[in-house]
Amino acid sequence: MNPKTLKYILKRLILGVFTVWVVITLTFFIMHAVPGGPFLSEKAVSPAAQAAMEAKYGLDKPLMVQYTTYLTDVIRFRFGPSLKQRGRMVIDIMYDGLVVSVRLGIVAALLALGFGVVLGATAALRRNTVIDRIIMIITTAFVSMPSFIMGSLLLVAFAIKIQLFPANGATEGGLVLPIITLMLYPMSYITRLTRSSMLDVLGQDYIRTAKAKGVTGWRIIFGHALKNALIPVITYFGPMLAYIVTGSLVVEQIFAVPGIGRAFVQSIINRDYTLIMGTTIVLASLIVIMNLVSDIMYKIVDPRINLE
Amino acid sequence: MKKLTALLLSAVMVLSLAACGDSARVPADSGNTDTTATTTTDTASADTASSDTASTDTSADASADASADTSAEGSSINVCLASEPASIDPALNSAVDGATLLVHLFSGLAKWDQKADGTLDLVPDAATDLPEGVENGDGTVTYTYTLRDGLTWSDGQPVTANDFVFAWNRAASDDLAADYGYMFEVVDGYDEVAEGSADSMNIQATDDKTIVVTLKNAVAYWNELLAFPTYFPVREDVVANESWATDPATFVCNGPYTMTQWNHNSLITLTKNDKFVDADTITMNEINFYLSDDANNMLTNFENGSWQLIDDVPTNEIAALKDKYPDEFIVTGQLGTYYVCWNVNENILPAGSSLSGAEAEKAEQEIRNAVGLFFDRNYIVEEIGQAGQVPAGSFVAMGLTDADGSQFYDNANGGKGSYYDVSADALQSNFDIAVETLKKYYTYDESTGKFTDFPVMTYLYNTSEGHKAIGEYLQSALAQVGITMNLENQEWNTFLETRKNGDYSIARNGWLADYNDPICFLDMWTTASGNNDVQFGKGGNESIKAYSIDLTDLGYDTKVTDGTWAETYDVVISDIKTCTDSKTRYALMHKAEDLLMSTGCICPLYFYTDIYMLDKNIQGFFSNPLGYKYFMFCHQ
Repeated sequence: MNPKTLKYILKRLILGVFTVWVVITLTFFIMHAVPGGPFLSEKAVSPAAQAAMEAKYGLDKPLMVQYTTYLTDVIRFRFGPSLKQRGRMVIDIMYDGLVVSVRLGIVAALLALGFGVVLGATAALRRNTVIDRIIMIITTAFVSMPSFIMGSLLLVAFAIKIQLFPANGATEGGLVLPIITLMLYPMSYITRLTRSSMLDVLGQDYIRTAKAKGVTGWRIIFGHALKNALIPVITYFGPMLAYIVTGSLVVEQIFAVPGIGRAFVQSIINRDYTLIMGTTIVLASLIVIMNLVSDIMYKIVDPRINLE
Repeated sequence: MKKLTALLLSAVMVLSLAACGDSARVPADSGNTDTTATTTTDTASADTASSDTASTDTSADASADASADTSAEGSSINVCLASEPASIDPALNSAVDGATLLVHLFSGLAKWDQKADGTLDLVPDAATDLPEGVENGDGTVTYTYTLRDGLTWSDGQPVTANDFVFAWNRAASDDLAADYGYMFEVVDGYDEVAEGSADSMNIQATDDKTIVVTLKNAVAYWNELLAFPTYFPVREDVVANESWATDPATFVCNGPYTMTQWNHNSLITLTKNDKFVDADTITMNEINFYLSDDANNMLTNFENGSWQLIDDVPTNEIAALKDKYPDEFIVTGQLGTYYVCWNVNENILPAGSSLSGAEAEKAEQEIRNAVGLFFDRNYIVEEIGQAGQVPAGSFVAMGLTDADGSQFYDNANGGKGSYYDVSADALQSNFDIAVETLKKYYTYDESTGKFTDFPVMTYLYNTSEGHKAIGEYLQSALAQVGITMNLENQEWNTFLETRKNGDYSIARNGWLADYNDPICFLDMWTTASGNNDVQFGKGGNESIKAYSIDLTDLGYDTKVTDGTWAETYDVVISDIKTCTDSKTRYALMHKAEDLLMSTGCICPLYFYTDIYMLDKNIQGFFSNPLGYKYFMFCHQ
């Protein structure tokens, strides 16, 4: 890797840290400005107990002091205890959630990539046939449908009407519907990307040359066309992971998947301050890193691109 | 070089495509086995302590056993009450579903038991018996309990009297700041704890087997408190680890079951504890508590036979389920009231009214009581609630008993049984009375039958379909007579804060009892109470002298005419708390409720019920009035 690229990565990393710091700061102050608090319940605790709790978790201190304390803790990766799930550490809750979410996300991403490329290539090779039309109509529909509608539709159809899969993501086979919900959008996007770039590549001179030299159909597609046709797909990698991370917030809620997205949403409802901060930091960092990785990959597959 | 990297990368991509064919099948076919396996490896490879890994391993085994058991001999039961409990530390738990787990895991001095005739009774559990208290010269009452022989913790250590004393002091302490710390307020010396001095409660372990506890005065519901999870024992060295109650590996208990698995947000498994002293009587070997609060999902699992008990059903399915499962759809009473509360400081008199101070408050009392008469409680329970709720004519809920064991609410309002007639027949007469009363204060247009100068109000509720439907009904009922009430919903936590701070005019409210004693419905309305959402005695109401109470017929010298809330209501409540004579005490509680209801600030709509569905093949199940469900004696 040349020094220019290294310099670029370093710059992006510093920028990423800055981005996460902005996210932390905004979230911290907005979160405290929202009415309600972690120790509010229908049955009010005594003022003395309330004060003791606030003292225990440092919530009695001025907001700026809490903010600086939190920042210094986070730099050392100390996310503190959950305010609502007494006795559990934020890091443990996030770990439990990440194990589920990462599995969900990776499977969805791989399926989206696999089906997307195959469908896109098929559509390109069978251009203007019935198959091409069907693929295009279906993927257009999936691209324009938000995940909460898709999720609810799948839930009603396959969990309540046909009862093929459970509605609860925490039970046996429960991840099937969430994975499908999560993969349909990126899959459709990749299909469309692959189709157009494949068409573009198939019209190139070098493919014609290969054909003229007597290379057979499959070797042309896999050996020559696909390789170049996939460059735009790789560039979509970053946005896709960002979509999957944010999409999982909705999907995990709909299907009650015990992942980090659900922990994030629940922590906001509960005003579990430390968990809100922890999950926000993890999700923000994930998106920042994924975008960086995607840009670097872009550069690697297509040397014509200048990272500056 | 660059070309090579590019080539390698595309090779990897093509390979990953090939691999996709396989991974596509994995989740669809064998989602579950795959899941368990991956979790185990992940935990193992993580940087967590080795004990963690061990516990994960055992839990994986346990779950395998569980599914085998279900099909083989039916000695396990799958139930779903709610989502992940906030805590199953007995001192910290404040939820009903958590309490259900705790009564299976711990053994307190007393417990609820079902008698042969199906009625419930409080019986000794860890104690040899539940003796009467001995009254001391200063009015305090001392109870002495002896622990049974052979009690052990799940790790084999003996249970000692000290464990109880430690647990009680811990639960009451400000350090722990438990929601239910105030459950110990009946104990002598608790007030000093509240003032910040730990361990000042009058509780002693005189030897390993004897617990001596002194209460401020005789407490009618003391045995019930002993069966309450907050009073369960915990061991000092166990709870020294702050996260002891979140992991089966560190969870040490003394009851009929031990926790063998907790997949957070998914499943808690309790397994019969063979070291438990009464292990012979326990018929259910294993209880799987699935953690979900999705009613649709619960119903699906109940209908396909996966779960044998579910604690919630989708509201819009209730009518259909009652017909479809007459033997399995169960409605039981619950000690709670759904009501509407007014902000006592909200001015509801017409613009330009000349009334002020106590006169205004008295007029508003009449107005609020009249407005409450427009609501058809029967319509609400039959058309909206649909779960067998009972129309409420008083605040203290159905199910709480009076001094003689009869229903407290039957004796409310000087024996009339309610503060207004809630029967369907009385609808028209209630309406007429209300209109006549309001005519005294507002302009009434006879031709349209509407009031023209009732100020616009806003009804506040927390976001939920059910609360919204009730709000819309209340709105339409008032619109008939020209009263405009707008609806505003807020997300739960925001709603709690708004209501608590009194930033509302009328709000949805509800209360569930913690124990069978009307005081838990009454002491929440004292000036200093954290649950005083009405704002009695606060803000503008602090100096309003509009309340009267006369306790002279009960032997007290309190007689206040036109006093403040603090001079009247707060005084009755403190008298109730120190009263040792049961009959007088209940009479005082009726007086407190009379005063409370006279303000019109509390408008009860219905008494709550608990609905659940139970597989008809399950025998030996029971639940107590607080909604705790008992599975230990279940069998098929």
